Amino acid sequence: MNRGPLVFLAAFLALAASWSGFVLAPQIQIGRQQQETNVVNTAELYPQARPGLARQGLEVYRANGCAACHTQQIGQRGTDCEVILTDAGTNPIAVAEALVNAKVGISQASGAGLAAGLPKTILCGVTAEVAKAAVNAVRPTGAKAKIEIVPRGPDIARRWGPRRTVAADYLFDYPVMLGSQRVGPDLANVGLRPPDANWHLRHLYAPRLAVKDSIMPPYRFLFERKKIAQQPSPEALPLPAELAPPPGYEIIPKPQANALVAYLLSLRCNAPLFEAPLTPAMAPSAAAPTNAPAQ
Amino acid sequence: MSPETNQPVSGAPDSRQSPAKSVTVPIWLMVLMFLLLYWGALYFDQNGAWFSAKVYAPYRTLDQVEAFQVSSGASDVFEQGKAVYNKPTCAACHQTGGQGSPGQFPPLAGSEWVNEPEPGRIIRLVLNGLQGPITVKGQSVNNVMVPWNVLSDQDIAAVLTYVRQNKEWGNNAPAVTPAQVKAVRDKIQKTHPGPFTPAELMKISPAD
Repeated sequence: MNRGPLVFLAAFLALAASWSGFVLAPQIQIGRQQQETNVVNTAELYPQARPGLARQGLEVYRANGCAACHTQQIGQRGTDCEVILTDAGTNPIAVAEALVNAKVGISQASGAGLAAGLPKTILCGVTAEVAKAAVNAVRPTGAKAKIEIVPRGPDIARRWGPRRTVAADYLFDYPVMLGSQRVGPDLANVGLRPPDANWHLRHLYAPRLAVKDSIMPPYRFLFERKKIAQQPSPEALPLPAELAPPPGYEIIPKPQANALVAYLLSLRCNAPLFEAPLTPAMAPSAAAPTNAPAQ
Repeated sequence: MSPETNQPVSGAPDSRQSPAKSVTVPIWLMVLMFLLLYWGALYFDQNGAWFSAKVYAPYRTLDQVEAFQVSSGASDVFEQGKAVYNKPTCAACHQTGGQGSPGQFPPLAGSEWVNEPEPGRIIRLVLNGLQGPITVKGQSVNNVMVPWNVLSDQDIAAVLTYVRQNKEWGNNAPAVTPAQVKAVRDKIQKTHPGPFTPAELMKISPAD
């Protein structure tokens, strides 16, 4: 062994290279990220710190190992544009001609067809350049068209979130509950899915009451059985006969359960950001949280 | 260590102690490594976005992210005008907030010269420049404004629209079109090549 310094140098270089790639580079990239004015949306600061109860809920989420089965990260494969005609102007025939001449993939368009049923999607799944070309072609004719940005990917098709998640979404979470296995659905925007706090409480107490065939274990230790003192508490869980406590008792969520639900409802990840462009949806999606891809 | 290994032996050399032969790397391996390095550098340049924190997959460059930024469409001229104003052309003297500097450069924010309903005077003023005492918002300023006829009709129209429609500055006057700028430019090219004085401008009908 007379090559000690050389072996040491090689080992040092190998470790230093991986440290630079995995620690130093990300630190330089996003280590000093701060709350920013979200000019894309409404000039409000993004992200906002979670409210106090939700912050405590993060600790409950962490303590119960929710991240072992649930991720909080949405992937995205690509981004498409849609062009929506909002106003056909006074001469729809000229609009149709302009669109055909702009060579944006529309080979036939009739003025009457365009003018009917506005606002109307005239181009779908195109690149930003094509969409801008179409809008510019339409503008001189007096018609108005707008571009909608539509992220695309399997997670988005499952309605787990409107866009990919980025570092800014997790800025105030410590630790970040990214998760790595999707035994259950992704929870990055579970706060925007329709069920309310009562649904989440029932789901925690008895998952199959809320989702048929759920494989989630019940978290009944987040609830307590109490004797009904004078009249039933408004917080008591409404339960079917086979799960109901004996007469004179009721099931009340502990503070941890309420904190966990507040945390779940605070998960959103839907703001349009510079780094994750998106045209915000008008209404929340009506799909129930599920693992199955949307049909 | 036996003592005889330290001395040269005339017989067969001990294989454990044979001097290290210099290893030559084949030239094709060197070329391959350089080609790989070159390809890696190209790939990084095209897909790495230079470690920008604003670029996430599936985007590969900052330009791709910018292509998807929503533009409101109607304010394109306003944005162009803002860019021209802050180049700095106008902002050098009139400041980015349009407040000017007292006694030297008159303000554009709330100025009665800027907010005239017809843009005839202010187009002339920007194209050929100005000299002589001018009264803006009750304050008299005697200075020289350089001509900006090097700017295109499009740019001048955009920057005047930006200044005249800047609600933050308290201005609210109709937009200026490139055609209006071109008409004035053609008209004064022959008849009035030099800078205007405020008195001359006041004689001109604003709609002209």
